[in-house]
Amino acid sequence: MTDVINVSELDPRFKYEIAAQPGGENIKACFSCGTCSAGCPVREIDERYNPRRIIRMALLGMKEQVLSSDFIWLCSTCYTCYERCPQDVKLIEVMNVLKNMAVKAGYVPSVMKTQIKLLSDFGRLYEIDEFDNKKREKIGLPRIQMQREEISGIIKLTGLDKL
Amino acid sequence: MDQSNLLEKRVGVFICHCGTNIGGFLDVEDIEEYTKGLPDVVFTQRNLYTCSEEGLSQIKNGIKEHNLNRVIVASCTPRTHEPLFKRVCSEAGLNPYLFNFVNIREHCSWVHMHERKQATKKAKDLIRMGVARVRLLEPEEDIEIDVEPACLVIGGGIAGLTASTSLAKRGFKVVLVERDATLGGLLRDLYKLYPICEDATNVLEGRKREGESYPNLEILTSSEVKEIKGFVGNYEVTVDIQYPRHGIRIIKVGVIIVATGAKVLIPEGLYGYDGKRIITQLELEKRLKEEREKLKRLNNIVMIQCVGARGDKRAYCSKVCCMVAIKNATLISRLNPEAKIYIIYRDIIQVHGTEYEDYYREARDAGILFVRYHPENEPVVSDEYVKIYDEMLGEDILIPYDLLVLSTPLVSWEDASNLAKMLKVPLDENRFFLEAHVKLRPLDFATDGIYVCGTCHWPVSVPEAVSQALGAAARASIPMANKKVRVESIISEVDKDKCIACGLCASVCPYKAIEIKKTEGGKKAEVISASCKGCGSCGASCPMSAITMHQFTDEQILSQVKAVLP
Repeated sequence: MTDVINVSELDPRFKYEIAAQPGGENIKACFSCGTCSAGCPVREIDERYNPRRIIRMALLGMKEQVLSSDFIWLCSTCYTCYERCPQDVKLIEVMNVLKNMAVKAGYVPSVMKTQIKLLSDFGRLYEIDEFDNKKREKIGLPRIQMQREEISGIIKLTGLDKL
Repeated sequence: MDQSNLLEKRVGVFICHCGTNIGGFLDVEDIEEYTKGLPDVVFTQRNLYTCSEEGLSQIKNGIKEHNLNRVIVASCTPRTHEPLFKRVCSEAGLNPYLFNFVNIREHCSWVHMHERKQATKKAKDLIRMGVARVRLLEPEEDIEIDVEPACLVIGGGIAGLTASTSLAKRGFKVVLVERDATLGGLLRDLYKLYPICEDATNVLEGRKREGESYPNLEILTSSEVKEIKGFVGNYEVTVDIQYPRHGIRIIKVGVIIVATGAKVLIPEGLYGYDGKRIITQLELEKRLKEEREKLKRLNNIVMIQCVGARGDKRAYCSKVCCMVAIKNATLISRLNPEAKIYIIYRDIIQVHGTEYEDYYREARDAGILFVRYHPENEPVVSDEYVKIYDEMLGEDILIPYDLLVLSTPLVSWEDASNLAKMLKVPLDENRFFLEAHVKLRPLDFATDGIYVCGTCHWPVSVPEAVSQALGAAARASIPMANKKVRVESIISEVDKDKCIACGLCASVCPYKAIEIKKTEGGKKAEVISASCKGCGSCGASCPMSAITMHQFTDEQILSQVKAVLP
């Protein structure tokens, strides 16, 4: 980012594009109170993640910067901000909108690609082996069957494997 | 009660605990014991709250059972409770002027919370002084004055018009004096009013038509108040009429409402103000009224809040500008939804009340962007851009503008002090008219019979100005409806034999309550009882000691001084 942000070089339509997506409707209601950032558990660990700042950048029209950034992928979907937001911005849903837009624009962080591969290979984010199932049996839980085929089918169908 | 008995002084002292306010910090029992030994004190009583129903009946019983002819309450402040205790004395048959207040809360327990012994001693001293004075008090009667059932309203903006119409509706004679050629004040220049975007012209014309329909409401435009003489109930006002024919009118009224309004600050020298591409909100209102087609073609509009306000020179917040900016920005966005509108505000945006909060949200929803600044990082305006530090991004942003609108505060008229002098009412440090009490008497002046409403008192919106005007009209109608006012006879009296008509008293009197008049015995000073506020300036200045202040005679004051000296 440069030292001075020239608004005329940004995309003022960006906020309307977000608001036109399901879940993004309320983004313009944000009045920057900072309740989201104050309660965010991710921000506590990583200062770079700042929901208020992301909304601000979006409202100003910093489309490229927002969509290409890693921040939008860091949300842990804990719903703290969603519950607390006094203007009902529905931040989690806004983040989903931003992620979808980022993917469409070709911005997929490498870690996402790894996760998609794991899902495709194991039907889960990590492999279930006998060790896990024996532990489950001991405490009376049913075995977990790997559903590799179904999941990888869905991934193929949605085109996630081509990202 | 038998007034002849007044020769024998029988003083009753009621000492209030005020819950723990006094009782928690002073040795009230010790004070009572001490008080019993003071001259002429025949009865003492301690009350948990003297102002409670029980405490008041204890005063009444004390007066009756012990034949008291002087009463002291040692408690809180006369500012709030003296009228109550005086009334109770009166109800028990004692002349209320034979009552004396001693403040042992503000003057003792509150200010000396941590010095119980000394505070207790001080309370004893004050009560001793009170007893010394109360023994010398004389019964007096309130003064009753006839009220001329007519009202002068100064200023024909929305506040003055509303107050006039409201009083005319009640059947009182009203004279509305407006110095401009037309009525309406600031409303004439406004386009739409927040929050429901009513047409300002419609609001004004409706009020004007209503006002003009009352034959008992006389409207004098192009006219100015030149002189005001008299006092509550009997004011004599000189009005200079410029148009249609120049002339002077003398008007007699009982009460006066001040509604002279304010004006918008022209921000000369601030942010490159030029009245063309960089304008005030008021100038924008005019363009919204007359040049909407031109405004439609503008793509980048920036507004800056608190211009010339909340700084060293003008410390106050003008209160209405945030809503004005939001309203005008919304109107522009309705004209041209593609316009990029930024409101650069300081610290907070002033939107109070549910309807205004909604309005603010609507504006954000329309895409208007709000950027905050702090005074240490003020916006910088160049030919093309406004540069502002965005604290959320931690970086400067450059916002291009085709039109820059500066939100400037409402400021008082330069000549407000002339009218204030004529009326003998105070102005605050910003030259706005100052009410008698911010909470208890918000529409009155300390001078009886004069009331205030609208932006001459403080910046307000149209709905607030209207509420205040209706309130001021209600207040003003009280003396007119009663036809008489009673004033306390704490006033000065001139001993005609001693008076040498030097005129010093008349010149120091802040209420114009003394006149030098020709009498059979030559020129003499004469007190206009109704105007006198009992300040004592005349008494202190008189070189012949010819002036006596009722209730505060030299003898009474010196008795207190003697009582407190060791």
